[in-house]
Amino acid sequence: MIEMKDVSKIYENGAVALEHVSVEIGKGEFVFIVGASGAGKSTFIRLLFREVLPSDGTLSVNGYDVIAMSHGDVPYLRRSLGVIFQDFRLLPDKTVFENVAFAMQVIEAPRRRIQHSVNAVLDIVGLRDKYKCFPSQLSGGEQQRVAIARAIVNNPALVIADEPTGNLDPETSWEIMDIFKRINSSGTTIVMATHDKHIVDTMKRRVIAIEDGHIVRDEAQGVYGYEA
Amino acid sequence: MKLSTIEYVIREVFFSFRRNSWMAIASVSTVAVSLFVFGMFLVIVMNMSKMINSLESQVEISVYLQDSAAKAQIGRIEEQIASMQGIAEVRFVDRDTALARFKERLGEQQFLLDALGDKNPLPNGFEVRAHRPDMVKTAAAAISRIEGVETVKYGQDVVEHLFDITRLIRIFGLALMVLLAGATLFIISNTIRLTVIARRKEIAIMKYVGATDWFIRWPFLLEGIVLGCFGGLVAAGVLWVVYRMITAKVYETLAFFPLIPAHPFLVYILLVILVCGVLIGALGSTISLKRFLKA
Repeated sequence: MIEMKDVSKIYENGAVALEHVSVEIGKGEFVFIVGASGAGKSTFIRLLFREVLPSDGTLSVNGYDVIAMSHGDVPYLRRSLGVIFQDFRLLPDKTVFENVAFAMQVIEAPRRRIQHSVNAVLDIVGLRDKYKCFPSQLSGGEQQRVAIARAIVNNPALVIADEPTGNLDPETSWEIMDIFKRINSSGTTIVMATHDKHIVDTMKRRVIAIEDGHIVRDEAQGVYGYEA
Repeated sequence: MKLSTIEYVIREVFFSFRRNSWMAIASVSTVAVSLFVFGMFLVIVMNMSKMINSLESQVEISVYLQDSAAKAQIGRIEEQIASMQGIAEVRFVDRDTALARFKERLGEQQFLLDALGDKNPLPNGFEVRAHRPDMVKTAAAAISRIEGVETVKYGQDVVEHLFDITRLIRIFGLALMVLLAGATLFIISNTIRLTVIARRKEIAIMKYVGATDWFIRWPFLLEGIVLGCFGGLVAAGVLWVVYRMITAKVYETLAFFPLIPAHPFLVYILLVILVCGVLIGALGSTISLKRFLKA
């Protein structure tokens, strides 16, 4: 699913974000990426959907060679995965339904399939009855659920989440994690960067800890390991 | 492209105009003004070109024959000149006609010729017109080598001056057109950039969910084309009315002034303006999108 070998990322201003990082993540795994702010967590996540390119090393995601691929192939890599952000990134002038349907529209899916798939994923995240609402009419947790629905509507094999509970209260965060668990149990790989000690410690999933651009810990049923 | 995508593109463009209607009106007007000036200049340059061309073609070569040339020889010389390349017309002017013309030109001072008595000092000759003004020089040289020709004269200075003026006007016109095209391009790309910036988040999300560059580009491209097209239409309409008015006025008062008739000349100009509007619109949006599609 994800094969990262000896990857380094040095930004143009000379900042070293990652140094000789190698890691493999298999199909169906649920992986937490933990580490302090600025440790390289975010860069790690952004490499996976080619928002930034590695300076060195090799990286394969969902069978795509992220480094060698042409600019024109990037959309197809992105269609094979779903991305979720801390700040939801919904379109404010589109309804819940339209926001989710948007992800299918841009890949030119047939209209009937859009209707069907959007309703199905809105069921999964429990927002079927709010399909007509605009994001501003929803709570933070609901907005994030819309974002999750958008990320999974094209049935990606991999879901990447960058601090998805960072803006949510603990109770709402657990609702989100429940949805992630459900998605994961259907075979979808989940890679999630987080600061939430409680979530990581309770879930007991694989934990990859990044510090100063290096992987310092990779445990199958790990804990957060830092003071929250 | 799928039908649902076409529908999506058209809806997006419509939506964008509704949201930024003032911006759209402003850019259509600026495009219209630029294209109108561009079209006006095109009309002026083409009219001046035509005028200069007709002036240039009126430059004549005067050929004077030796007195010894007999009638038969004169005929041969005429044939020889007429068969040369680039010669439009050869007219024989016998010495009597030449003298009559000379007298006419002298007017009240005709008495000066009295001293000559019955003698006519003027030679037989030809008036020769070339097809194109740039042929005058070579034609004159060739004619002077024909046996029986005494001298050849033509308005060398006039021709070369006219050439300089035409060239100058064409270069100046071209420079102005390039400048105007650049300005129009700038205006359209700026307008589209506002739309792009307003929808930056949307573009970013489109990229995250795997939209291709072309899918993202289409609505903006169409928006630019529509802006340019509308601007071109307005400019073409105004230019049509203005040119009609000018030609009507000129024919009324300065009938000798050779303006190019509105039909079909103006139709071509209007088409050029419209095509320019569309091209500039498309190019403008491509420019403003380039930066956003790179990453």
